[in-house]
Amino acid sequence: MSEKLTSRQLSKKITDEYMDEAFHAHELGKLIGYSTAISPVEIFVAHDIVPIYPENHAVANLTAKKGAELCSITENMGYTSHLCAYARSDLAYRKSGITVTKGIPDPDLFLACNAQCFTLTKWFQVLARKGNLPVFVFDTPEHIMDRKAREEIVKYCVLQLKELIGFLEEATKKKFDYDRLREVMKYSAQSSILYKKFLDMAQYKPSPISIFDALIGMAIAVYRRGTQECVDYYQTLCDEIQAKVDQGIGVLPKEKEKYRLYWENLPVWFKFSDHAKLLGSYGGVILTSLYVHAWSFDFDLDKDPLVTLAENYVSRFSNSTIEDRVDMAMDLFKRYSMNSMIMFMNRSCKAVSFAVPTLKDILTRKTGIPALVFESDMGDQRFYAESQVRTRIEAYFETLDKLQAKSV
Amino acid sequence: MWDSLSLKEVVEYARDPYPSIRQWIKDTGKKAVGSTFADVPEEVIYAFGFLPVTLMGTNKPLKKAPSHLPDNACSLARSNLELVLSYEGDLFDGYVLPQVCDTTQHLSDIWRINFPDKYVESYLAPRQADRPSARYWVKEEIERVIASLSKWSGKKITDADLNEAIKVHNENKALLGEIYEIKKKNPAALTNHELFALMKLAQQVDKAEFNKSLKKIKDGLKAENGKGYTDVVLVGITCDPPEIYDLFDEIKLNIVGDTLLVGTRYLQGVVSASANPIDALTERHFKRGFFTPIHDNVYKNFEEVKALYKKTNAKAIIYVHIEFCESQEYDLPDLKAMIKAEGIPMHTLDTEYQTLSLSHVRTRLQAFFESLKGGTL
Repeated sequence: MSEKLTSRQLSKKITDEYMDEAFHAHELGKLIGYSTAISPVEIFVAHDIVPIYPENHAVANLTAKKGAELCSITENMGYTSHLCAYARSDLAYRKSGITVTKGIPDPDLFLACNAQCFTLTKWFQVLARKGNLPVFVFDTPEHIMDRKAREEIVKYCVLQLKELIGFLEEATKKKFDYDRLREVMKYSAQSSILYKKFLDMAQYKPSPISIFDALIGMAIAVYRRGTQECVDYYQTLCDEIQAKVDQGIGVLPKEKEKYRLYWENLPVWFKFSDHAKLLGSYGGVILTSLYVHAWSFDFDLDKDPLVTLAENYVSRFSNSTIEDRVDMAMDLFKRYSMNSMIMFMNRSCKAVSFAVPTLKDILTRKTGIPALVFESDMGDQRFYAESQVRTRIEAYFETLDKLQAKSV
Repeated sequence: MWDSLSLKEVVEYARDPYPSIRQWIKDTGKKAVGSTFADVPEEVIYAFGFLPVTLMGTNKPLKKAPSHLPDNACSLARSNLELVLSYEGDLFDGYVLPQVCDTTQHLSDIWRINFPDKYVESYLAPRQADRPSARYWVKEEIERVIASLSKWSGKKITDADLNEAIKVHNENKALLGEIYEIKKKNPAALTNHELFALMKLAQQVDKAEFNKSLKKIKDGLKAENGKGYTDVVLVGITCDPPEIYDLFDEIKLNIVGDTLLVGTRYLQGVVSASANPIDALTERHFKRGFFTPIHDNVYKNFEEVKALYKKTNAKAIIYVHIEFCESQEYDLPDLKAMIKAEGIPMHTLDTEYQTLSLSHVRTRLQAFFESLKGGTL
């Protein structure tokens, strides 16, 4: 009997098999569908379309500090430096072939869901023009705070999911199998519960995970949800983290964990480990963000699968009102006992960042906790001022120390 | 107030319409409801007896908006936010704000949070336009906005109210269209600046009154061909500051076609006669030309621009790019390449709301048209 794989081994195995299938999709009689990370990909999985997420590929390159090189190539193609670094690095990859991975297979079609952002739609349209390929825009109006409007939004989205199914049937010349969708939804629901359980382990003191663990751990939820292996992976991950909890093992030892931080926005991918070390030296651990919770779905398997898909995808944090985002963040502050926050103004991600100044004002007022605000880019190193960020972090922790000393 | 304006006065009012709106509100006792671009069905607001005003930024300094929206946000969004936060917010009892992109989505939220005592409703425009669900959604949204305005105002409107509003708005567009046609054939009859000031003011003042001015202005136009004009097509969303039109006038450009919201895309909003005004307003949404945040057809922009260029026999295309407008910025490189492949001369103007100096725009524009006339393009 073979030894049980660790979560890390399992993640590698799932990823390798997934990419292997993707690169051989056409030989297997399958199409490649490019998808936004937050989109009802369960429909793809149920219809044997292999989903590929250009954002994930971009993250690999940006984390490996290829951002400046790639973004410069795209800017020389006539695109401005204001655009999303994922898009800029991807368009450069198409032109230059530069990547730290084996690359990703070319698309046959696109699914752009604007619950995440509108940028992805525009980026996919650029790619579609290169190959004269079809794009399906799954339009998710903002999940505004009106019960009746929400019901109508869900109806509109269900109509569109039916159109999406028709679009895929046309592309594949194959009838859509709703029973298969129900099976896929079952896996998605199970893995979502486990993924949320994993994220919520940051509630323990000391926290056994930081946001950096969450960012690594979320990858499988992003690209393999709707599969049995996704469920297996999160079960393994939860078991491993629970073992740490049982042994009292934290990211920092309990006596050193002074500051439990909330992070707003996507991470600065190329400063991933640097930030963890720097914050750790001040007794700080970033526990969570709304971003990592974007894949904590709450599918209701008793409902029509299209309805529960629509309800879940329209209500992601990135498609919610600022007021609802405040409530979501406040829930995390309470449940995770956080006592500090970093608000990252990510010039690359307007969809998330344009809410940040307002969120910061409301959250600091509601929690009474000061916030560290800094501006940079999630992937393009040319917009990261190392000494300035370091100075701000130092000053922020000095402020927190003083506040803590006063309150004692 | 706006029923007997001369062209000169129109230009002045269009530059800063707010003192006259303030006076109008005082005189009539009516309320103003502001909107931003694009596609809010202003006929609905009008039918309730409110004055629909499309907000188009301010030239006054930015003071408060930068603390809400960073400097890489669309300058029109920042300028509109500044307009209401610092300068003219007291004029408006409410707002109906469309969501067509990430920026406008956030703008609605920021607006609502900053004006807790005012009526702020979103108009959730579809960001796809080629499938049946989009029609369903536009109708739902129009009905929802009507219900929302009704709840806020305590009034109910009838089909007759809507039809009357449609009639006034259609007349407004028809009159502007007639003036535009005169201008196309008679470039010296009125300046580009005057034409587009008419287009702008039409979206900000009472149309029943303004239509009277438009009729008089139209009747007073003389057929003046002028000499040495170069016909061009203007492509984009808006063109601001208005002094850019002065530059066009200076070098004798004649705008014979455009795709602007403060231009032909407004004129395309004529609503067809129908037994059901809501159905007619819904259909109207799909008759307008290309608008980058809502059209999912990736070639439509290029096809429409090319067709307009050919139909008007223009000599060049001027593309007006608003700094930090992502929608435009993703489209522009491909659009430029496609236009170039057709052998059509195209010049891109980079503009920004709150821009004070246009010297760089002038130099580049002059150089382009000198090259065009010299045959080197």
